[in-house]
Amino acid sequence: MIELRGIHKVYQKKDTEVHALKGVDLTIEQGDIFGVIGYSGAGKSTLVRLVNYLEQPTEGHVIVDGAYLAEQSPNALRQIKKQIGMIFQHFNLLESKTIYKNVAMPLILAKKSKKEIHARVSELLEFVGLADKAINYPSELSGGQKQRVGIARALATNPKILLCDEATSALDPQTTQSILDLLQRVNKEYGITIMLITHEMSVIQKICNKVAVMEEGKIIEQGSVLDVFGHPKHQTSRNFVQTVVKTDIPRRIKDHLNQQDVHVLTKLEMVGEHATQPILATLMQRFELTVSAVFTNMTEIQDTTLAIWYLDIQGKEADKINALSYLEAQGVRVEEVSI
Amino acid sequence: MFDTNITLQQFLDAIGDTLYMVGMSLLIGTIFGSILGVIIVVTRRDGILSFPIIYTILNIIINIIRSVPFIILMVAIIPLTRSIVGTSIGTNAAIVPLIIFITPFIARLVENSLLEVGPGIVEAAESMGATPFQIIRYFILPEAFGSLILSLATATISLIGATAMAGTVGGGGVGDIAIVYGYQRYDTFAMVSTIIILILFVQLIQSTGNTLARWVRRR
Repeated sequence: MIELRGIHKVYQKKDTEVHALKGVDLTIEQGDIFGVIGYSGAGKSTLVRLVNYLEQPTEGHVIVDGAYLAEQSPNALRQIKKQIGMIFQHFNLLESKTIYKNVAMPLILAKKSKKEIHARVSELLEFVGLADKAINYPSELSGGQKQRVGIARALATNPKILLCDEATSALDPQTTQSILDLLQRVNKEYGITIMLITHEMSVIQKICNKVAVMEEGKIIEQGSVLDVFGHPKHQTSRNFVQTVVKTDIPRRIKDHLNQQDVHVLTKLEMVGEHATQPILATLMQRFELTVSAVFTNMTEIQDTTLAIWYLDIQGKEADKINALSYLEAQGVRVEEVSI
Repeated sequence: MFDTNITLQQFLDAIGDTLYMVGMSLLIGTIFGSILGVIIVVTRRDGILSFPIIYTILNIIINIIRSVPFIILMVAIIPLTRSIVGTSIGTNAAIVPLIIFITPFIARLVENSLLEVGPGIVEAAESMGATPFQIIRYFILPEAFGSLILSLATATISLIGATAMAGTVGGGGVGDIAIVYGYQRYDTFAMVSTIIILILFVQLIQSTGNTLARWVRRR
């Protein structure tokens, strides 16, 4: 659906060059809710703007739904843009126009008939839950309501893709949740592919199925949200994951274990139904091991459970090896970690 | 009752002349000034139809005209005025320099008003696949409307000031009465009543502008 290949973006500023993107490759499949996370200045804003060509790459290809954007005429590009909705951190609504007119704007630009516009706008306002606000002005709405208008407007032309530029960053946690729920409905009910950028890992956790972590103009890690949350490879990814899933053993527990001469723990990572297996009982009864759960964490991601356990396993070495290979056969990811 | 040499009729004529000069030059100046203002906004370096050469040239021309005080501009362009209206004296002759004076001023005011519209609005428009014309028509102009009204009020007040100087070329108007009767013939009544009328004009225009702008923005 969206493909970025070998993207470089360099901004010329007076005497200096700012290398905003340094060789980015990214593929977003139809139906994905793809999250891009990074600290400010990582290049995520530039990245999302490439997809609807608000920014042009200095090098590399942007391919949307099979079309190479660089090869399009200005007119063809405008037609492609109508297939890509976008919502913004600061909503960017027209303050001088009613909610109705704001949502109608993409249709007015497309020269649709009044009747067609009325039907579509009414449907959209109903969908985002603002049917009673049609004649109000944006200044009379709360932040969450404004973003709903933004979403309705972005959907007006029946796009295939929705780009979200820090769409919840200006909202409080509760409103954020309701907007994320709405975005999920957009994805499920209309089958719209969503690309969102954020600096909040909780946003990724709640609605994304895939994630890319950006740092200094590069994607340092990407994959399914479960994978990245389960075992982030890069330090920055770990930092982001830490903000929502506590996977590190607290310092005090570590010190305590070290005092007792425990230096190696077994980390188990279980997803979905594996997370509810009677692991401890099995290890103790079937393999006759002494097991203590040092630290556990369970997190809901994408309607499934991610469980991370740190176990201190004592017993015969052979039993331990058997036990761990048994667990691996059960679909549990096992790792020895030194502390 | 008052010790004055002017008649009511003269006064009414003068007010009529002032309104005529302000109205005509405002109308034509607004048309050209707005077009010019839009052009310098869209052609600037980060504009939606970036064309830095055009921007730079227009920018310099506007600055040059705006550097010349109206009273000098009026005299300096007498040959041009004469070639357009056939004479360099009278109300119609005053309108030519008034237009040349106010057009670049309005262009600057329009430029400022349009630049107040945030880049986010333009970005949203571009993301919808709007053409440059549509961006101006449906996004920038409506969003800047309140500010444009205030700009126009400022321009009108500035024009009233300029018409007072138009008396120098026999342009007539209330300013002319103040100079010819009030100043040159020591007619205090003429002077004071002219000032009062000018104050009333300015108050009326500014408060009308404010009210309209507030109304437009509140909607």
